[in-house]
Amino acid sequence: MSIRHRLLVWLLSSVLAGGLLAAGVVFFQARAEANQLFDYQLRQLALTLRDRIYLPSQLAEVLQGEEALDFVIQVWAPDGTRLYISHPKLHVPSAVQLGFSEVRTEEGRWRVFAIQQRGLTIQVAQPLSARGRLALAAAWRTLIPFLIALPLIGLLIWRLVGRELRFLESTAQAVARRTPEALEPIAGEAIPEEIQPLVAALNGLLGRLGHALSQQRHFIADAAHELRTPLTALRLQLQLAERAQDPADRERAHAMLRDGIARATRVVEQLLALARQDPDAPVESRAPVDLAELARNVAHAQAATAEGRGLSLGVEGAPAVASGDANALRTLLENLLDNAIRYTPSGHVTLRTGSAGGEAWLEVEDSGPGIPRAERERVFDRFYRGEAIATGGSGLGLAIVRRIAERHRGRVELLDPVEGRGLRARVTLPAAE
Amino acid sequence: MRLLLVEDDAMIGAAAREGLRQEGHAVDWVRDGAQAEAAAANGVYDLVLLDLGLPRRDGLAVLRSLRAKDNDVPVLIITARDAVPDRVAGLDAGADDYLVKPFDLDELAARVRAVLRRRAGRSSAVLRVGELEVDTAARQVRWKGRDVALSAREYALLEALADRPGAFLSRAQLEERLYGWDEEIGSNAVEVHIHALRRKLDPSLIRNVRGLGYSLARDD
Repeated sequence: MSIRHRLLVWLLSSVLAGGLLAAGVVFFQARAEANQLFDYQLRQLALTLRDRIYLPSQLAEVLQGEEALDFVIQVWAPDGTRLYISHPKLHVPSAVQLGFSEVRTEEGRWRVFAIQQRGLTIQVAQPLSARGRLALAAAWRTLIPFLIALPLIGLLIWRLVGRELRFLESTAQAVARRTPEALEPIAGEAIPEEIQPLVAALNGLLGRLGHALSQQRHFIADAAHELRTPLTALRLQLQLAERAQDPADRERAHAMLRDGIARATRVVEQLLALARQDPDAPVESRAPVDLAELARNVAHAQAATAEGRGLSLGVEGAPAVASGDANALRTLLENLLDNAIRYTPSGHVTLRTGSAGGEAWLEVEDSGPGIPRAERERVFDRFYRGEAIATGGSGLGLAIVRRIAERHRGRVELLDPVEGRGLRARVTLPAAE
Repeated sequence: MRLLLVEDDAMIGAAAREGLRQEGHAVDWVRDGAQAEAAAANGVYDLVLLDLGLPRRDGLAVLRSLRAKDNDVPVLIITARDAVPDRVAGLDAGADDYLVKPFDLDELAARVRAVLRRRAGRSSAVLRVGELEVDTAARQVRWKGRDVALSAREYALLEALADRPGAFLSRAQLEERLYGWDEEIGSNAVEVHIHALRRKLDPSLIRNVRGLGYSLARDD
């Protein structure tokens, strides 16, 4: 049911109810007034008659012409015989108490006033229905303007509500005009106060949507750019392989091609890893993760690579149990260790874990060239590779690390090593309960 | 021709250097903007292949700085930045051509030839000196109407001479055009190649004047 219909029904019902209430009030008021007025009349008539009647013999003469009245007049003698009745055909109340009273007969209810004068009992009675009719008429007169106004009010409501609701329509059109490319906020100045919260909420949503979309677009643009480099290398390497004349050249070209494919694969895997770690979705399945054990496992898996590069790889794991997603945390540590090994030409790489104050932490320290303080924030940007010579990294490692840490409500810091030169990457996570 | 390759990516750099060497060019490879600027300043290069996203100094800054110093070495930009404003900025900064990654070795070689040709004021890919024809696109040599098979180095040497017939090129100049920094040069490598050319073509085609160097005889 539309707002227009609802408003129409409710407003008209209210108006009608108001009218009925007013008519009811008028009815009772009119009846009370009529009662007062008629009682006064009744009493006046009785008193007048009393003053005019001195003898029973005068009755007929005095009361002549009173038959036409609404009132039924009766006069009784002291012995109880009825001397006079103005409307003999009616069933009227018989002699009752003096003063005002109400009596029911076959004709209905009567208001009765009786008075005694020198033995004569004079009684004036009036049907109560007359008073009701009067009150009803008054009530009806009150109700009539409402009934006449009702259709007019309805029409007015219909038109006015329609006009006010045009804002909703124009807002709806404004929303409909928004596209993923054009998400500018909806203008809210001319819009009624009641719709403002809706427009504000919509604008908030549009803003968040636009932000998410532009982030996604940047990511895709970055990713496309970043995929282009390994693809260029692959293409060149393939052509060299095709051109190779002798087996030695061909073997060399094939080795380059294999390296190129491994690298392109890594870039794609890292992009997927990053895309999977949606920053807006916190970790849903948390479990206790033993960081010390994770460090040993990851170190074990990359020991051969480190050894191949002549690095001394060590684990100094104090107990540390974080609350989180074991797979994501493994990806995080693998990336940190991979970076450390990749960028450290000689010396050592050390994994450390520990816990303090409701938090568990892990560190990867290397004796590589380190990162200047000024650059330490920028290296978390996607595809940022530092000023050093390219080492075949995807440029995504630290972005992935940071994103995983953020999803765990943790943080990543790049610090100076405990001693000597190099870099100490520290990830702090909430400890398991 | 001696080319300066500026490329920070190890794999692309290695592959591009290898491919261009197979085309007979001498290629020196540097990996950052500062080195590129220093190397290009010495004036021995016939062409610079310049990546834009470089460590230490952006490629575009390197190019602008070269042009500001009146260094008009031909520059071919090779980059992954493919947006039109990037291309316009590159060309306006003084680049001779703009090649977007990923590219083909053959296209790279062709663009290098085209830039060199334009810079030499020629529109044809074929150099003609008397009865010698050097097709720089196909890298084929015809002498008196018949094809002559040459090694890559022999070809590079002949092309260098045919590019400016009558002009003398010293042994050092020829070595520079034939060999990159990291290539071993035999003490008499140039003489060996000249000897081979004379044998395959005509002994009188290449002249040698002590103190001046070598020159291709013009017909006139």
